[in-house]
Amino acid sequence: MQSEPSLQRLSVGIAGLDEILHGGFLPGRAYLVRGGPGAGKTTLGLHFLTHGAAHGEPALFITLEEPEDHIRKNAAAMGFDLEGVAFLDLSPTSEFFAKAETYDIFSPAEVEREPTTKKIVDTLAALKPRRVFLDPMTQFRYLASDLYQFRKQVLSFLRLLVDQGATVLFTSEGSAESPDDDLQFMSDGVLDLRHGPYGRTIAVSKFRGSDFAAGQHTMRITAKGVEVFPRIVPNVRREFKQEVIPSGVPELDELLNGGLERGTVTIVTGPSGVGKTTLGLQFMKEAADRGERSVVYTFEEEVEIMLARCDGIGIPARTMIQKGTLSVTKVELIQLTPDEFAWSVRAEVEQNNTRVVMIDSTAGYELSMRGEDLIAHLHALAKYLQNMGLVVILITEIHEMMGNFRVSDLGISYLADNVVFLRFLEINGELRKAVGVLKKRLSNFEKTLREFEITREGIKVGRPLTGLRGILLGTPEWVNPDETKE
Amino acid sequence: MPHSPVILAVDHNPHNLELLAQFLGNQGIATRCIVTIEEFDAALGESAPVGLALVDISGFDRSIWERCERLRDRGIPLLVLSPRHSAALQRESLAHGARGVLVKPLATRELLGLLRNLMNET
Repeated sequence: MQSEPSLQRLSVGIAGLDEILHGGFLPGRAYLVRGGPGAGKTTLGLHFLTHGAAHGEPALFITLEEPEDHIRKNAAAMGFDLEGVAFLDLSPTSEFFAKAETYDIFSPAEVEREPTTKKIVDTLAALKPRRVFLDPMTQFRYLASDLYQFRKQVLSFLRLLVDQGATVLFTSEGSAESPDDDLQFMSDGVLDLRHGPYGRTIAVSKFRGSDFAAGQHTMRITAKGVEVFPRIVPNVRREFKQEVIPSGVPELDELLNGGLERGTVTIVTGPSGVGKTTLGLQFMKEAADRGERSVVYTFEEEVEIMLARCDGIGIPARTMIQKGTLSVTKVELIQLTPDEFAWSVRAEVEQNNTRVVMIDSTAGYELSMRGEDLIAHLHALAKYLQNMGLVVILITEIHEMMGNFRVSDLGISYLADNVVFLRFLEINGELRKAVGVLKKRLSNFEKTLREFEITREGIKVGRPLTGLRGILLGTPEWVNPDETKE
Repeated sequence: MPHSPVILAVDHNPHNLELLAQFLGNQGIATRCIVTIEEFDAALGESAPVGLALVDISGFDRSIWERCERLRDRGIPLLVLSPRHSAALQRESLAHGARGVLVKPLATRELLGLLRNLMNET
């Protein structure tokens, strides 16, 4: 999404992978795809070939293991169009087994290499392919008498392909028992496919002549083939007007010195049920009135419940959704990796020009995502949204209803440009709510708390609560008892 | 090698013989292929000139050694092919008339060089 594939690049046919490769493979080179059984190597190769074939480039699939008709069947099941993809099937036939007498007088390298090589050379000469996928290269190891011969053969074979103008993708099954380090050295680039505890990943470990997005990226094999979700990097930047967006509640805006700035991250923190989500939605309601689109990612609450809640407090969420100024997305538990979630947020932001994003809540995010370093991922996502000029609202719940004050239980307050907190207070034996601002990076703010209430008409914020002490303890007292009357 | 005599190739595995004959044929060397002991005996009874014998001992019992000795007695150089390195086997082969033991799989270039040397002797 961030960089247009340049003309000198060869698209793999997988959008996310092209992005990781900064546009695609460099033509006329040979790339290694490594991975264990079921890692998706062959499927990736099918993407590579069919994408080329669809653009009129002759493509050749050389298979040394899986028979052609199997590959064709699997490809058809995943919806690949193999029109324009030629096959060279060098896999062993069933006859081979039926002919019980095998030989041992010469090594296979002496007997079978020549016919195999000849078939390949003949096919290359006849087809002049632009894209070649060879699966698996490791099979050639058995056709070489020793390691030196194998290396020499692979190198000269790759040279032969590349000299004919082909870009080559070849696979290997590297394992501890049969390492494929030599193949890694010989290739111009290496893609590592892995199947870890948090799902599939793809990583580029080498790419001669080009930069690439480092690290493990989420990969998924779906009914339609391979999908890659690059790890989000907050290096994109969109020009946006430095302005403050108001909440539409005058007292709240006063508290915030006008509202929230575009391109900032705001943490709204408070105990359960105090009104954090409603506070965030209030900014969205106001944005909708300006015709701007907002998105809520809810990790805990069902969409319908949230909408029903909005009905009761004067936020016309249903109408906003109809008009396209609001979208509420429920993120299901353990379905997505942070890369996939970030990818869908990016698509939302870049395709629909969304201006406000709320993540409800950060604890829900941490529980729902599969993977490690979730806070780092959330950080990267927030930074990206910030660079794109969005108002980012992170809802953060703290466990304590009252008492000792803290911003978040997750250690994410460093992420925030603004911290707005909601508290329960006990004043004169009555449970009240208050809102305050703890931090605002870009402007001044009111240092006092104000009473906060959610009514049928919406959020009501009162005058500053001056003259109270012990507010942060949750049981404030009037400094001067004579001023008890409000 | 014009008018080169035939090589006697003894192997219990026909596929091996086929490959060997094909390889030697490409080099212009004619091969007489022998799969069983009976065929071996029949060949030893003939008087056609034999330049050299290659005997793959895998699949045969000890009676193969007796035939090897008969080859030696007729002055035919003999190479034994074995599936593995074994000092005992090597000793036995040499005792029964072999010029040497080759371990499978054979490297074609070495085999060819060896054959040419031995056949030039005769």
